[in-house]
Amino acid sequence: MAANRWLATGNFFITYKEEQRTFLTSLDRLIFSIFLSALFIWPIFFSLSRPYMLVINNILIAVIAVLGLNLVTGFAGLISIGHAAFVGVGAYTVASFSRVLGDSHFLITHMWPLLILAGGTAGAITGAIVGLPSLRLKHLYLAIATLSFQMIFEWVIKFMTFFNQGQTISVGRVTWFTGDIGRNDHYTFWYYVALVLIVLLGFGIRNLFKTRYGRALVAVRDNDRAADAMGMHPGFTKVYAFALSGFFAGVAGAVHAFLYKGAGIESFTLHHSITYLAMAIVGGLGTINGSFWGPAAIEILNLQVEKFSEYAANYLPSAMNLATALRPFTFGLVIVLFLMFEPRGIANWWRIVKSYTKTWPFRY
Amino acid sequence: MSYFFQIVVSGVVVGSIYALAALGLVLVYKSSRVANFAHGQIIASGAFITYALTVWASIPIYISFFISMLITFLLAWSVERIFLRRLIGEPIISVIMVTIGLASILDGLIYLTPFGTKNFSFPLFLPAEPISIYGVSISWTQLVGVIITVVLIGGFSWFFKKSTVGISMRAVSDDQFASMSVGISVPSVFGLAWATAGLSAAAAGGIIGNITGLNFDTLHAFGVVVFPVVILGGLDSILGAVVAGIIMGLIQQFAGGYLDGNFGLNGTGEVLPYIILLIILLIKPHGLFGIHEIERV
Repeated sequence: MAANRWLATGNFFITYKEEQRTFLTSLDRLIFSIFLSALFIWPIFFSLSRPYMLVINNILIAVIAVLGLNLVTGFAGLISIGHAAFVGVGAYTVASFSRVLGDSHFLITHMWPLLILAGGTAGAITGAIVGLPSLRLKHLYLAIATLSFQMIFEWVIKFMTFFNQGQTISVGRVTWFTGDIGRNDHYTFWYYVALVLIVLLGFGIRNLFKTRYGRALVAVRDNDRAADAMGMHPGFTKVYAFALSGFFAGVAGAVHAFLYKGAGIESFTLHHSITYLAMAIVGGLGTINGSFWGPAAIEILNLQVEKFSEYAANYLPSAMNLATALRPFTFGLVIVLFLMFEPRGIANWWRIVKSYTKTWPFRY
Repeated sequence: MSYFFQIVVSGVVVGSIYALAALGLVLVYKSSRVANFAHGQIIASGAFITYALTVWASIPIYISFFISMLITFLLAWSVERIFLRRLIGEPIISVIMVTIGLASILDGLIYLTPFGTKNFSFPLFLPAEPISIYGVSISWTQLVGVIITVVLIGGFSWFFKKSTVGISMRAVSDDQFASMSVGISVPSVFGLAWATAGLSAAAAGGIIGNITGLNFDTLHAFGVVVFPVVILGGLDSILGAVVAGIIMGLIQQFAGGYLDGNFGLNGTGEVLPYIILLIILLIKPHGLFGIHEIERV
């Protein structure tokens, strides 16, 4: 392109190769690199207190899980109300290794990246199995099928002695090249692990939508008969989508188990499945950057609600537990308000800001 | 043998409660094609309103039962008017998530009241002595609960078969455009469907509250456990809800009575409905009495 990019009124592609680049302009790449390196560098200069670091880690883990959920619900249009169960499968894969081998076995302390991969694989396999009904079912019926998987998963964990009947199964601390990761470094260490995983998986999912399979997913969501006529196999596309989303969830679960040094059923209930769905919706279904906005928004909202109820508790009778009431209330209100007034989620605000700055000072 | 019949009796009792709880879901789905995930919370609020009116306002339970039905009638109607009416024509995920969000909001509101955390039980107004015939016993509360359920379900069936409003609701569920063209106001039918669902939810809540006591967790769990029931019966069939409710109740009680403790299994009654649900979805997704309109992929 001979013309000056800065004066162009938009991105005009001449070749397909140009369109397929990850970063459309060098400015994009610059901003992204600065942002990413800032994410990697800040823990060296600031040290947050442990509760806040935990919140940040929770956000990152939720981002991994929601990326997977967005793949299956946002891009493939299959509603999954059992995502926390897939996360649980990943976490309990790690926990079962720890239960069989002992919680500070060599495999856990040194080979933990393999275990994270194993968690992802287990998630993918269960995802494929749970996705099988999607060969026949759509919409509401599929949602209820995934709901029943969630309930069956909870039952298996709660009533099997192998899984400690839902009580926490502990997982030991891990070792890195610099030595054992102690209590002080624990959260920072897993922050970095989660961040690296997000970068890998995020680029993976972004590139996926430039491949034949990724486009097939979107085609099947928009109109499965048309996709069938184009030579895609809608059924297998959907099952693969479930398997992939299960992989993401499994990875998130494995990291969760390591971060919390254990796995217990209370982190993988129906409520968490709904929370993941809410995160995907608040962020924006069918957008990749929405998977980052959503978890951050919901987790920060939770934090603020917690703070507010602590503050308000001073003025209320002590018998009343405001936090238990306010948490579901605000959570539900946020879901409902977003669906009613901004169904495209925070990602849409991001898009509006972007297009505004692009054409500033003109309005289109 | 009396153990067997005892299980049959308790299965029928539990099943008829399921049927009544599932009825509300079927009513909403039948007319507006919305699966209401907040139904458990509406059942719970119906039960709590009945309790509050009976015990705190000391109104006789017969009257407070009806007043709470009226209140949830209005509650469900306004829920439809405020939240669901805007979402007509939106993708199904939005509608499902709105009902889930509503469930969460109602959760929050109920946690603000003492009912969220404490357990209550209704004062006895029937003889405490259970009736027993040949070693099979059933308590008066359960018997009256089953009778009220049968009467209510009969009433709803009559309402749908004979009354003008019921027929217009069936027309809307059949074809919205055709019913609009004969002068039925589709939005108001949706509102009415929600309202009747709320009414049946209050009845279910009152009966469950009398039989099992008022515990928020068990009450709103009904909102999830009715899904296997309605899928088995067919999402849009009242008869299906009744039959499937009783089948599900029997299965649960038999599983609890014969499987638990043997073969190293426990709590099978909780999980079997969902396993059955998955099997039905794979084999016969429209359920026993539902209409065949599932799209094959």
